[in-house]
Amino acid sequence: MLAKRIQPMASQARRLYVELMFQVMGRALQAVSEVDSEVQAEAKALPKGFLFEMMVMPDGSKLIVEHVGEGRFHYHGDSAPRPVDVSIRFKHLAHAFLVLSFQEKTSVAFANDRMLVDGDVSYAVRMTRVLNRLESFILPKIIAKRAVKEYPENLQLPEKLISAAQIYLKVATHFVQSARA
Amino acid sequence: MTNTYYEFFCPVKVIAGKAALEHIPYELTGLAAKRPMIITDKGVRAAGLLDPVIAACEESGLDIISIYDDVPPDSSTTVVRDIAAIYRKEKCDSIIAIGGGSAIDTGKAVNILVSEGGTDIAKYTGAGVIKQPLKPFFVVPTTAGTGSEVTSVAVITDEKKGVKLPFSSSFLLPNAAIIDPRMTLTLPPHITAATAMDAMTHAVESFTCMAKNPLSDAYATAAIKKVSQSLLQVMDNPKDNDGRLELAQASTMAGIAFSNSMVGLVHSLGHATGAICHLPHGMCMSLYLPYVLEYNLETIREPLGELLLYLEGPEIYAATPASRRAEASISALRKLRDALYKRCQLPRTLKETDKVTEDQLDAIAEMALDDGSIMFNPKEVTLKDARAVLQRAWA
Repeated sequence: MLAKRIQPMASQARRLYVELMFQVMGRALQAVSEVDSEVQAEAKALPKGFLFEMMVMPDGSKLIVEHVGEGRFHYHGDSAPRPVDVSIRFKHLAHAFLVLSFQEKTSVAFANDRMLVDGDVSYAVRMTRVLNRLESFILPKIIAKRAVKEYPENLQLPEKLISAAQIYLKVATHFVQSARA
Repeated sequence: MTNTYYEFFCPVKVIAGKAALEHIPYELTGLAAKRPMIITDKGVRAAGLLDPVIAACEESGLDIISIYDDVPPDSSTTVVRDIAAIYRKEKCDSIIAIGGGSAIDTGKAVNILVSEGGTDIAKYTGAGVIKQPLKPFFVVPTTAGTGSEVTSVAVITDEKKGVKLPFSSSFLLPNAAIIDPRMTLTLPPHITAATAMDAMTHAVESFTCMAKNPLSDAYATAAIKKVSQSLLQVMDNPKDNDGRLELAQASTMAGIAFSNSMVGLVHSLGHATGAICHLPHGMCMSLYLPYVLEYNLETIREPLGELLLYLEGPEIYAATPASRRAEASISALRKLRDALYKRCQLPRTLKETDKVTEDQLDAIAEMALDDGSIMFNPKEVTLKDARAVLQRAWA
């Protein structure tokens, strides 16, 4: 009886968590592309105006970023100005929650068929590398190790802390600006 | 509670063995198909491989309505559109693809157009676009390696845009795959070797990469055992019917395995090398396999060690300490490659191919990094890592 009452609340909590994480990740993608040269190098290979989406099927939370040139991303929130070029779609909210709560690595989620790629797979692979780089920066090492296939050996603590601080500051600023707007 | 999860799907009826081709008319009739079209290439026709299929159908009173025998090695959207037009004009109702990867992929793409309508195959590119069953579709492989007869993907080149269009849907899977040893009996030695090593690589990567699962493992190990036991036998005696059938079955089993558990870095490097240097896929697989296994070694020590049983048999497996089995598996594969080199000069290094220059390695590494299969490699691969593997594979 109690479980039946708790279930909708748990589902709602998961939904809110996934939505919040998408908002943080979208803003963090924009931020990391402004501070990290490796991410910029990865993004430069994408066409200018390239739209990338991560979403929960069938019509759940989503994040959309655009490559605006020079390796920089712009976060569009959950609405795209035109059809997206590559979409990574979680088959279910529960699968998105597993990945975004770092219980399942992104690479394992792909291997487990938790999500689908719609669009050019090579761009999706590139965006996954960018996401991995982002997670390595903004998450404590112990958690990042649960999120990425392999924690980058060459990422030293000072670089990580400085970059993470810059990213979080930019994310927080973006949140405040969005709230004011 | 376990954290493991997997999916496994293979609805293809496998019709294998002696006089398998003679089952085609019955199977077609069972799907109410009376006007089949054959899609193949000139090489298959010139080798006389269509004759037993046509004879098998005619003996059962089933006429082959149309034969398209001009599928190029890299099939294109134009070819697919032209074949679809012939299919419609001749009022065919089913497709039999006979050949290697290109003819089979073309058959899958033609089936999309003639079932879904239209003339632009590019409209159906991507995953999950096709939502309903297609026309009856049979596949008769004439090489023992690609496993395309049991995969739900096809790749067709868009000539105008210069890009490869991927198609992925479970509806692309044929209704039946007909594995008849007569179809591979005349394969020349170097193609026999390269395609068998393609199947071996499918199985080994399937067993060691991230999406491995108990069902694909069973198919992969069986395939490895068959290739290990039969390949050299067939190389020494090409007319060995039983050995040919073993290799053909191994190819199908490896296809079932990898289409359910994906492949890794060997394929990423192989796809890039094929695109840049135009080397045959099977040759690339054979070439890169040991170098990639060495790169992945510490991540895959346990499963790779298990493979020794299927590569070398129970005696050598039992005599090898558990801690050395992974290395012994790599040695077994190297030994097999050496034997193939001796018999048909199947290259073991990039230098031995005479078609790759050292200054192309960077471009191969960069392209490999963006290949979809790299996602499933058990160990993360950076550009530096890919370059290092290529350098080791150079000479």
